[in-house]
Amino acid sequence: MEKIRRALLSNGKEIEYVVTDNPPRGGMKYTYFTPDKSYVIQFFNDPENAENPAIRDRINAIIGKYNPTLAEEYGGAKGNDKQTAAYFERCFCWPVATVVRPEFGIVCPSYPANFFFGENASQILKLKGKDKKSNWFTGKSRKYLNSPELGDFRSMLQMSILLARSLRRMHQAGLAHSDLSCNNVLVDPRSGTCVIIDIDSLVVPGLYPPEVIGTRGYVAPEILQTLGMDRKDRKFPSVQTDLHSMAVLFYEYIFLRHPIIGPKIYSQDAEEDDYLCLGKCATFIEDPDDTSNRPSDLEVTIQDLGPYLEELFLRAFSKGLHNPTERPTAMEWERGLIKTWNLLRRCTNPNCEKKYFVLYNPEKPVCPFCKERIKDDTVMKLNFYTQRKGFTGRWFKTSELIADDKMPICNWNLYSNIFPDEKAADREVKAYIKHTDDKYYLVNIALDNLLSPDGMTIPKGYAFEIKDGISFRLIRDENSLLLHAELFINK
Amino acid sequence: MADYTRRLPVYLLLDTSGSMNGEPIEAVRQGVKALLMELKSDPQALETAYLSVITFDSVARQVCPLTEIMSFKEPDLQANGITSLGAALRLLTECINDEVHKAGPDQKGDWKPLVFILTDGAPTDDWEDAAEELRNSKPANIIACAAGAQADTSVLKKITNNVLMMNSLSAGDLAQFFAWVSGSIKMSSGSVDAMPGQPIELPAPPQGFVIVP
Repeated sequence: MEKIRRALLSNGKEIEYVVTDNPPRGGMKYTYFTPDKSYVIQFFNDPENAENPAIRDRINAIIGKYNPTLAEEYGGAKGNDKQTAAYFERCFCWPVATVVRPEFGIVCPSYPANFFFGENASQILKLKGKDKKSNWFTGKSRKYLNSPELGDFRSMLQMSILLARSLRRMHQAGLAHSDLSCNNVLVDPRSGTCVIIDIDSLVVPGLYPPEVIGTRGYVAPEILQTLGMDRKDRKFPSVQTDLHSMAVLFYEYIFLRHPIIGPKIYSQDAEEDDYLCLGKCATFIEDPDDTSNRPSDLEVTIQDLGPYLEELFLRAFSKGLHNPTERPTAMEWERGLIKTWNLLRRCTNPNCEKKYFVLYNPEKPVCPFCKERIKDDTVMKLNFYTQRKGFTGRWFKTSELIADDKMPICNWNLYSNIFPDEKAADREVKAYIKHTDDKYYLVNIALDNLLSPDGMTIPKGYAFEIKDGISFRLIRDENSLLLHAELFINK
Repeated sequence: MADYTRRLPVYLLLDTSGSMNGEPIEAVRQGVKALLMELKSDPQALETAYLSVITFDSVARQVCPLTEIMSFKEPDLQANGITSLGAALRLLTECINDEVHKAGPDQKGDWKPLVFILTDGAPTDDWEDAAEELRNSKPANIIACAAGAQADTSVLKKITNNVLMMNSLSAGDLAQFFAWVSGSIKMSSGSVDAMPGQPIELPAPPQGFVIVP
């Protein structure tokens, strides 16, 4: 039986919601929707939690002064402007208000429509309207989904960048999510986007921490390992434990497998085995020094992701698994993922399921997934240098790009002081790479100050050839990057 | 890469004695259908849960062997006869011995099975020894549900500490029971909140259900 009820919110507004018989229920709360499904209203399973002042204070802080999806002028996070607030609004399902009547509860926006399965998600399962938990795409159930749902290597990397950026923003404010998992980061591999949900059990600086421990497979080993100890010896969710959970998600997105659950048997008792496998004895399946948990049939490994991600995964799961201070920060992940993104190359095998791979060694352009050597005769690597501040003429390398036909060039590929993050106001394509007959060109679309290798202005609609060995400033601007092109013959 | 997912065996022990005839057995059929649909919408449950159905009336039968969710065929449930709970418990022990993977030096064992018993009456056969055997050897986490006024909760308490009581055998109550079973399976396949050896965590029972102390 469905009934419409009204809730009074903390901001004085009233909102209608539909009461259903078996509302979706999580560990802490159950959920109703507004009639138009644009918002969810959540109440606590345990009335004691609803009355708990520690929980109320925490949620009020999350909605107000720690809210990255609200500009500071509207009561959101300090230093947050409207542009960054709008950017992060898409990355989180951040609570917008609390319910005052009939009882204490939380109002959040619904997830955007692309995080629910549509009509054609699966031939076998009825998934329409179900939320896209990431283990649909990374686990065994993947085989029941129609292939357009699954995305490719590039879209999985794009999702990872967005997750790293969102978590970097949270951690910058001192907030920890405390339960990042396949259930709390919804993903849409088709569009390469993700959204972080369940924002109400965050660890907020100076306030009483939430009671959650986490989700199996994602909890940091030190939390599991100290579960039975006295409170003073226990480890609780924190920024550092988030960094473990996030790295597990990246590893799953990229490899479609778990980084720690491998063949090694720790105990004959299933519960004990699991507890040791994910806790005290946790071992990375690709640990270079301890191969006891390494599957015999690993084909694609972290070495195939290029130097940046290999190093980050080793720090997260080899050095940092039992040593939380070694874990890479969300910002380091964001940077490493973007550097890796720049090395992506389309696989020339039309049947390659992953479609893209990291071409980190231009002398060996082989897709690790389908093992095909790319069919092009050449690989063009563009190296970008930034001028050291105060040292005119002294340049240091900041990034590399593997050129590909139709590759878009944006402001962050041209200016040393612009990054492809939430602060980049202009995200338009300014130019693009044209690759034809073994020649590479840079075609100007929208730049007034694009320069050719000999320092001439290239008008919009015109192009110049990027030849092997050329080195020049890309645009007439003091923050211009310097481009150095290297051509590799693929034989 | 090989699959290192641990299976979660789930056994449903369903009372199909004559008193379940009519609306109740139809509600159980619908309940099993709804349970399957729920589990198929949860990737974690879909990957880990394996389901078996044992019915008991004048005899006990394993009508569905332990099968992964995607290949599970709904049983044809008919209600008649008396309530051979004892035989069902002995059959459960046999099935667990045969079907549940034990850990070996090169093989991960299954999770401890989850067993749901649903009955609306008192057993008509010898059940004490079988109950004691299960209580002592603890091969599974057992949850028993007494449905309606005729069910004997003291019998169920001899099998397990987790006993629920629902007031009626109405379609609504049975639907809620199966919804709760799916919630319990999902929780068991994903949660980590307990240390080894701790009692399993189950979701709060639906409204109108009482936990028998």
